[in-house]
Amino acid sequence: MDVYNLGAGSGIYLDNNATTQIDPKVIEAMMPYFTTYYGNASSQHGFGLPVDKAIAKAREQVADFLGAEHPDEIIFTSCASESDNTALWSSLWSQKGKDEIVTTSVEHPAIMQTCAFLEAHGVKVHYVGVNDKGDLDVNEFKSLLNSKTALASVMWANNETGDIYPVPELAEFAREHGVMFHTDAVQAVAKVPIDLKKTAVNMLSFSGHKIHAPKGIGVLYVRRGTRFVPFMKGGHQERGRRAGTENVPYIVGLGVACELAKAHLDEVNTRIRALRDRLQDGILKTIPECFVTGDPANRTANTLNVAFKFVEGEAILLLLNEHGIAASSGSACSSESLEPSHVMRAMGVPFSAAHGTIRFSLSRFTTDADIDETLKVLPGIISRLRELSPYWKQNKPQIKNLDHDFDENSTEVRA
Amino acid sequence: MWNYSDKVKDHFLHPRNARVIEDANGVGDVGSIICGDALRLMLKIDPKTDVIKDAAFQTYGCGSAIASSSALTEMIKGKSIKEAQKITNQDIVDYLGGLPPEKMHCSVMGREALDAAIANYHGQSYESSHDDGELICHCFGVGINKIKKAIWENHLTTVEEVTNYTKAGGGCGSCRMRIEEIIDEVWEDLEKCGVPRPGTVPTPIEAKVVTSAAASAAQIKSSIDQKTEQSPIYNDVKKLLEEINSGLKEDGSGVELDAIEGTDIIVRLSGPAAKGMMKTMTLDFITKKLTDGTGRQVKVSAR
Repeated sequence: MDVYNLGAGSGIYLDNNATTQIDPKVIEAMMPYFTTYYGNASSQHGFGLPVDKAIAKAREQVADFLGAEHPDEIIFTSCASESDNTALWSSLWSQKGKDEIVTTSVEHPAIMQTCAFLEAHGVKVHYVGVNDKGDLDVNEFKSLLNSKTALASVMWANNETGDIYPVPELAEFAREHGVMFHTDAVQAVAKVPIDLKKTAVNMLSFSGHKIHAPKGIGVLYVRRGTRFVPFMKGGHQERGRRAGTENVPYIVGLGVACELAKAHLDEVNTRIRALRDRLQDGILKTIPECFVTGDPANRTANTLNVAFKFVEGEAILLLLNEHGIAASSGSACSSESLEPSHVMRAMGVPFSAAHGTIRFSLSRFTTDADIDETLKVLPGIISRLRELSPYWKQNKPQIKNLDHDFDENSTEVRA
Repeated sequence: MWNYSDKVKDHFLHPRNARVIEDANGVGDVGSIICGDALRLMLKIDPKTDVIKDAAFQTYGCGSAIASSSALTEMIKGKSIKEAQKITNQDIVDYLGGLPPEKMHCSVMGREALDAAIANYHGQSYESSHDDGELICHCFGVGINKIKKAIWENHLTTVEEVTNYTKAGGGCGSCRMRIEEIIDEVWEDLEKCGVPRPGTVPTPIEAKVVTSAAASAAQIKSSIDQKTEQSPIYNDVKKLLEEINSGLKEDGSGVELDAIEGTDIIVRLSGPAAKGMMKTMTLDFITKKLTDGTGRQVKVSAR
C-alpha cells in the first residue's frame, strides 16, 4: 500500500465530512449522459428530450429526499458554496431596505467569508455565539431578529463537531417575525431526517459530494413564494433562477445519490452510529488526556471530534496516514491559517487542546475492520508524539519548570 | 496534505536525538503550546572547548517542526558554539531538502532555540540577551527584531512570506500594514548593501542631449506628424496658437502644437499656465479661440 497515493479500495477513509466515495450505482446512472445522451435539455429536438426528462426525474428524486412540496423548488447549482452565496445575495437584493443578516459564529467559510465581504460593504452581520458544547444560544438568536433582518442563516449541522442545530424551531420563529430563513444543510442531509414541507425553511443548501455523488453539483432549495433574485444571470435554465447549461450527468448522479441516501438513512443512524460510538469509547478508554468536543447527545451519527491534549493535530494526521488512515484536524498547522479552527475557538476549547483536535467522520462504506484498525494504531501514535513533547513526562503532563507561564486551560491569544 | 520532502518525512518518522539530556548545561525553550508549536533544545557543552558534545530535543508541533528540531541537533553536534551560531534557518531548510513555504517558521523556531540554549549556557536568559523590540504581532507575540531578521536573512518581499517565516500577521491580520512598512525599511538597507529587490526595476534616466536651440526646435518640429500637417485646419490652428503664444509669453508661459486628430487638438503647455487652475483656464481659452478661428467645435487637451 502506497500511503501517499490512496484511493478507493485502499486505506481507511474516515474523512467523510470532507468528501465521500462516489457510490458505484451513481456512476452507473451517470454514464449514459456522458456517452449516449449528450443533448442540451433546452433543445427542441429528439436529442434534448431524453435529457430534459432525466433532469426532471432527478429534480423529483431530490425534492422527495428533502421532503419538498414541489419539485420546482429545487435549483441545481455547482456546489453548496454557490448555493450559500446565492441565498445571502438574493435575500439582500430582493428585499430593499433590509440590510442585516443574522448567522452563527460556527458557519462554513462559504457563509463566514461572504458575510465578512458583505460587512465590509455596509451590511450589518450579527453572529450568534455557541456554548462550550457548541450548542447555539437560541435566545440570542431570537433577540437579534428585527424588521431590518434580510436573512437568518443557520447551518443544520456543524462540519467539525457534528452538532445539530434546532433549524425547524429557528425557522418557525423567523417566519413568525417575517424574517427569511436559510440553512446550510451540507452536513445534515443523509444523516438527519429532513422533511422541508413540515418546516418554515425558505432556503436550504447542500452538495452532492458529501452524499456519495461527485463534486461539482449542489442544490439550493427555494420554497415557493420566497422572494428570489438569481445570482448567476444569463439564461432561462432552472426557471430563470440559475443560468448556465445544466450539468446533466451530475444532476442525474445527484438524483440517484439522494434516492440511495434516503434508503440508507436508517443504516447511518444505527450501524454507523454504533461504529462511531465504538470508536469513541475505544479512544476514551485507551488514551489518557483526551476529550470529545461538541455535544455528544446531539450530533450527527457519523461524526466524532476528539481533542488530544499536548499533541499537535497535523503530526497525528501524518502518522495516521502512515497506516493508510485518513482523518482531518482543526489544528492550525493542517490548515491555511496559523490559528486553530474558528469552530473550536467559538466553543472556547483551550488552545492546548484545540491544536490537537482530530475529526473522524464515517460513512455507510465504513466497516468494522476500519474501526478495529484505527483503535489498534491510534494509542501508539498519541503516546509516541507525547514522548517527543516537552509538555509530557512519564505518561502525564509536565508543565512545570518551563521558561514561560503555562496555563493549560488558557483560551487567550498570546499577546 | 503538505508536500514534504523525503528528508523531512524521514526526520519526522525517525526523529534523531529525541530525548532528554538530564545534565544538559544549555537549555533553550521557545514557542508555546498556545501558538501550536514549542521546542526545548538541550545541549551538553564542554566548558573547556565550547564544543557541543551532545544535543537533544523535545518538540510539540507539526511534522515539519519535529523534523526541523531533529535536523538541528544533527547539524550542531560536534560543532563549537561559534560554528553553530553561524547556522541560519535557511541552512536547516537546505539540510531538510526544503520546507513548504507555510512551514518556514519551523526552521526559524529551530534557530531561535539554538540562540536560547547558548544564552542559557552563558548564564543569560534568552529574553535578556535578545531584545525583541517593538511588539508588532500581538496574536503571536512577534517583535520587530525577529521580523527584520527574517526579512534580512531570507530576502523576504511579501507579508505572506513574513507570516510563513515568523507567524507574524497570521492571526487577526491587523499588523499586516505595519509589516509591509517594515519590509520596505529593511529593503532600503538591503539595497544599500547591493541586494537588488526582486520585482523592481531601477528607474531609467532618459538620456536627453540637446545641442543647440535650433536643433531642439527642429526636433520639436519633426515631432509633428504627417497626419497633423495634412489636417485641413493645420494652418489656421498654427497661426492662432502663435497669436495666443505671444500673449502667454508675458508671464513666461507658452503653448505649442503637438498633434491634430480630426477636431481633437493636443497642445503642450509650459510655464505657470501649465499648472493647476491656470491650466484649466488656459485650455478653455484656447478652445474658445480655436473654435471661433477655425469655425469648428474643437476639443483641446494638454499633453
